[in-house]
Amino acid sequence: MAVYKRGYQRYEGPRTSHMARLLVMPREAWRRVSGQRIVTALIAVSCIWPLLCALFIYVSNHTELWAGMGGDFRKLLAIDASFFLTFMKVQSVISVLLAALAGPGLIAPDLGNQGLGLYFSRPISRLEYALAKMAALVWLLSLVTWVPGLALFLMQVSMAPAGWAAEHWTVGAAVVFGFWQWVALVALVGLASSAWVRWRLIAGAAVLGYFFVLSGIGVLVNAIFRVEWGDLINPLRASYGLWCVLAGAELPRGLSLPTALLALALMGSLLALALERRLRPVEVVR
Amino acid sequence: MSQPVVELEDLHVTLGRREILHGVSCRLGVSGRGRAIGLLGPNGAGKSTLIRTLLGFHEPCGGRARVLGFDCRTERRRVLERIGYMPETDSFIASMTGVEFLRVMGALSGLPDEIALEKAHETLFHVGLGEARYRTLGTYSLGMRQMARLAQAIVHGPELVILDEPTNGLDPSARRRMLELIRQMKEEHGMSVIVCSHLLADVEQVCDEVMILKDGRMVHHADLEAERRANRRFVELEVEGDDGALGAALESHGAACVHESPGRWRVVLPPDFDAGQLWKLAASQGLSVRRLTQRRDTLEEIFMKAMGLMRQTPGEAVASEEAAAHGGL
Repeated sequence: MAVYKRGYQRYEGPRTSHMARLLVMPREAWRRVSGQRIVTALIAVSCIWPLLCALFIYVSNHTELWAGMGGDFRKLLAIDASFFLTFMKVQSVISVLLAALAGPGLIAPDLGNQGLGLYFSRPISRLEYALAKMAALVWLLSLVTWVPGLALFLMQVSMAPAGWAAEHWTVGAAVVFGFWQWVALVALVGLASSAWVRWRLIAGAAVLGYFFVLSGIGVLVNAIFRVEWGDLINPLRASYGLWCVLAGAELPRGLSLPTALLALALMGSLLALALERRLRPVEVVR
Repeated sequence: MSQPVVELEDLHVTLGRREILHGVSCRLGVSGRGRAIGLLGPNGAGKSTLIRTLLGFHEPCGGRARVLGFDCRTERRRVLERIGYMPETDSFIASMTGVEFLRVMGALSGLPDEIALEKAHETLFHVGLGEARYRTLGTYSLGMRQMARLAQAIVHGPELVILDEPTNGLDPSARRRMLELIRQMKEEHGMSVIVCSHLLADVEQVCDEVMILKDGRMVHHADLEAERRANRRFVELEVEGDDGALGAALESHGAACVHESPGRWRVVLPPDFDAGQLWKLAASQGLSVRRLTQRRDTLEEIFMKAMGLMRQTPGEAVASEEAAAHGGL
């Protein structure tokens, strides 16, 4: 019978599990995000650098292609921690651009017309809501960060002479864990900007500003005051420092691991707090 | 013993440093009976705070609140699985179409995907938004958005629906439609409904039970039908002339009366007293009768009395207690 003829009937059948309900939100958020053409275009663009790196790995591991070249050239083609760190630097910038485009559309539409009360009057907690929204962004950012990074590492392992993997396994760990840390930070920034800024363009600019302007300020503070605590507000440098440690490479000059960890912990906590302040079903005037 | 829909035990809720609910205790409704409960009170009485506490938005700082047998604090998820909530304020996701919105809300409440879609269509037709279901919510009029909010509250077939000011801002025909939908919810679909409203006429039309809050305290709780039965018929008498001795004359005939304002009296007559005799009594006092009406209290009068803005009809306090005792409240 047609729906309009049948009339409303109260549903009394079996309900889905709690986990299935939670997955509705990332699915919906992913639908929103993937519906933006510019996001799709940027994902396509983000494949260029990993493809070039893959080509580089291929060339580097086929010695017959560059036989007769000098020792310096061989050194240039070496695949090591610095190669993967460079790859991570480029992809991390692309991931920030992606978060600036996709992040603002995640929470702002729910907050814009006081829709949060509708979510929280259902069996969903604030933490679950935030994690569900974050999952959509994490999935998107994973596509341009650790997934291609891991693919490149595995490609290198399969092509490189025996022993390379044993010698460079920390690089693989750096690619996966370093990118996980990065994705978590970028997703938090994307969500926080979406929760605090209603206008999409400004929210996107806030994401870019957080990473690039704040990093610039951090560098300026260090240079002008001849201090090191400017690193505490520099997300790019702090993350890069952590990746270097994970990959077994040398830390950038002036940066220590405790400073990097402290900076990341501070940023994560502040962003989580900003989200917590905003994701409330009702605004209580105290 | 039947399960109450809402059970409050010495409930205290504090927002910031201000205590909003001061030890509210009561049992509202009977689970599975399809009754509507009206939540009344002036602005700032604590109605919205009470509703939000039931939804788990605010945590009680003392006492206990149970909904359908589950504790709002410790079993929040179980409570919310059984509730549908229509907020007072405009709440929607502007970029979603009506169908998408209801499908997502239904799925979040535990409807399987295909059923959520089916119920979304069904519910939108039910509330009168069938033709507009593929339009984005941002393009809906105020009345349509109100209906969409109602639709999202019932799409998953909850046991209890909480409606916060459901007829606010609706034109007369939309208001009638909303009240009819509320009546259907309880009578045809067996849902318990809590209606929080300032519009007493709306509450009177659809509710079986009312709870009146004032300054964070419950000042009245009654089964409306029992209240109406117990509410003694009284005579509203308006006279012209010096009515200084009328009270004593009425009491000498066994009537109980309240002098409301100069020339205006509310009189409860003894069973054997014919209202016609009042004319003679007034004439004997040299008064001319301007108006004589026999009636019972309206909900508005019950509300005004609970607020202390109107004097009780003589003998009413006792009758009200009897009503409460026999109304199973």
